Amino acid sequence: MFKKQLEYQQNFKFFKIEFLIILFLFIFCRRDKTNEVQPYHPTSYQIKIPLFFPTKLNIPDDNPMTVEGIELGRYLFYDGRFSGRTDPDSLMSCSTCHLQANAFKCGINNPKFIDGRPYGLSGKVTPHNMMPLINLVFNNEGYLWNGMINNNNTNLGLAVYGVPPKPEYNLKNIESVVWMAIVAPHEANGSIERTVKTIQNIPMYPPMFFKAFGSDTVTIDRISKSIAQFIRTLISCDSKFDKYLNGEVDLADAERRGFELFTTNNGADCFHCHGTDAQPLFTTNLFYNNGKDTVFTDLKDRFSVTKNPQDIGAYRAPTLRNILYTAPYMHDGRFKTLDEVLNFYNQKVVWSPSISPMMQRVKDGGVHLTPSQISDLKAFLSTLSDEKFITNPSFSNPRPSDPYFSHN
Amino acid sequence: MIFMKCNLSLNIFIYMAFSILFFSSCEKEKISQPNTEAGKIVFKFNQTYNGQPIIYDSLLYVNAAGNKLMIDQIQYFISDVTLHKSGGGLKILNSKEFCHYIDKDIPSTLTWSPADVIATGAYDSISFTFGLSKIENKTGLFVNPPENNMSWPEMLGGGYHYMKMNLKFQDSTNYLSPFNFHLGIGQIYNSKDSIIGFVQNYFNVTLPNSSFVIENGKTKEIQIIMNVESWFKTPHIFDFNQWEMPGMMGIMQNETGMKAACDNGFDVFTIGYIK
Repeated sequence: MFKKQLEYQQNFKFFKIEFLIILFLFIFCRRDKTNEVQPYHPTSYQIKIPLFFPTKLNIPDDNPMTVEGIELGRYLFYDGRFSGRTDPDSLMSCSTCHLQANAFKCGINNPKFIDGRPYGLSGKVTPHNMMPLINLVFNNEGYLWNGMINNNNTNLGLAVYGVPPKPEYNLKNIESVVWMAIVAPHEANGSIERTVKTIQNIPMYPPMFFKAFGSDTVTIDRISKSIAQFIRTLISCDSKFDKYLNGEVDLADAERRGFELFTTNNGADCFHCHGTDAQPLFTTNLFYNNGKDTVFTDLKDRFSVTKNPQDIGAYRAPTLRNILYTAPYMHDGRFKTLDEVLNFYNQKVVWSPSISPMMQRVKDGGVHLTPSQISDLKAFLSTLSDEKFITNPSFSNPRPSDPYFSHN
Repeated sequence: MIFMKCNLSLNIFIYMAFSILFFSSCEKEKISQPNTEAGKIVFKFNQTYNGQPIIYDSLLYVNAAGNKLMIDQIQYFISDVTLHKSGGGLKILNSKEFCHYIDKDIPSTLTWSPADVIATGAYDSISFTFGLSKIENKTGLFVNPPENNMSWPEMLGGGYHYMKMNLKFQDSTNYLSPFNFHLGIGQIYNSKDSIIGFVQNYFNVTLPNSSFVIENGKTKEIQIIMNVESWFKTPHIFDFNQWEMPGMMGIMQNETGMKAACDNGFDVFTIGYIK
């Protein structure tokens, strides 16, 4: 009797194990089946290159652009939970400071950021004035004011922010600026692990990650790649000046006179650093000491990257596209208006040992235009405003009524 | 029966595959075999001052006018490089690129391997156009940096700078003053300062002592040196103070200055070595 009971118990035990194996296989097979239902077929996205724009794009081989990747990036760009928190007062995303209405700068009249100088969740002000996100896909000279983020940078991680030296934390491209924004004290002041976990736990995101990357697992690499893809779509090429180049409109007399001053050596001589009609990014993306100071204390100038003493006090020449929307100006935001900028180049340029040779009129303190010439130059610069860029629905907030997406 | 049928199909498939492979490989062989014996050329570029490699951004140099100077940047184009064959005939290197951009800050531009295949034999000399010729120098030719950063405004003649040499010199008041030694299309102005015409300032350079022999299957390495001091010496002594005047900086809009600089350009380039 006892033996029979023992046999029965053993049989039951085997049955239980068999049952568990079958159940496991069943679940496993079902999972496979789910994947079959949702195949990973991302749609390749091709950038349309405007007339005279560079054809050499800065898109890393390991992050090809897809419609799904861009869409995911757009959501993450605007979602305040990018900071890794969900409390209303701790939300921060790229869009907190990069406002479309201001050509993706925070804007001089932003009620939150006094004088257009953003600060992070810690309250710390950014070390430099922010740069607008315009036509970055055409820039192969590095990113940020000093070009520290560039394809030749072999460093990994940022010890100062506690980020370990791993390949996903490289310092090469727009992707790098995304993960840096999570940890920098003057930005989201968070942790990468917390942001990844937060995004993973938001139900709408795993399917979007699957569509973009073939996996519903959220990683910092995928967050960075998708946001970088979205930023690469932010192309401004529909200003009045673009229409003039395309032969669609003519410039007004003052605008034409301003353009002449812009592109002549003996006029305002802007073009050597900011481009011509044949170089319509309106920047070379290169670095110049433009004669603002005689003493230099900023440790994040171009010299910090190259160690060339001639780069002391040098910073990237920013694009002049949408210049009316992108105050304040210069790497430290010292000029609040375009008039202040023009006044500086006109009569307040100062000499220092590392002054750029492009500042040919430094001995005279500037280019000495007349008030009417300055007015003409301003008229020309205003033709670089691109209203479609600042209202394009493809670049806008995808969920404006969602509190997590409207945290500005 | 089915097995035999399968076997037969397999044999036909293998036979066809081998045939395709055999014929396509023969075809390839045929294309890659040159009709004549030939070699290649690779150019290396260097810049010197008084025969020594330039130490940039250092106030070490004096020009023929006695100006102390330091050099910050040198960027320039050469085009239509021509090899002159002994006994007549010439070969223009333009099968892929008709011009080459040289930038002292971009190491990859200091070597140029033209795609052209060069027939074997003796060549007497090498010549080229400094800058870009009238036919080629059109706005929009380059859309990518670094070449498109050489853009020369359309209203000043258009196209591209032949050269940007940016330097600083100690002027007559001992002020270390920036000077843009920029060359390109010149302008003719009327008495009201309006542009009434343009001047093509590009010029032809024949390199002295540039004879060489191309051997079958071999690459000849040729170093071309820009002797920077020569821009300021012969036939015109180039005094930077002379061209620094109120409202007119550098020589980009001063054809007299550009003409003097281009006149001086005839002996700026020499051969460093041929090996």
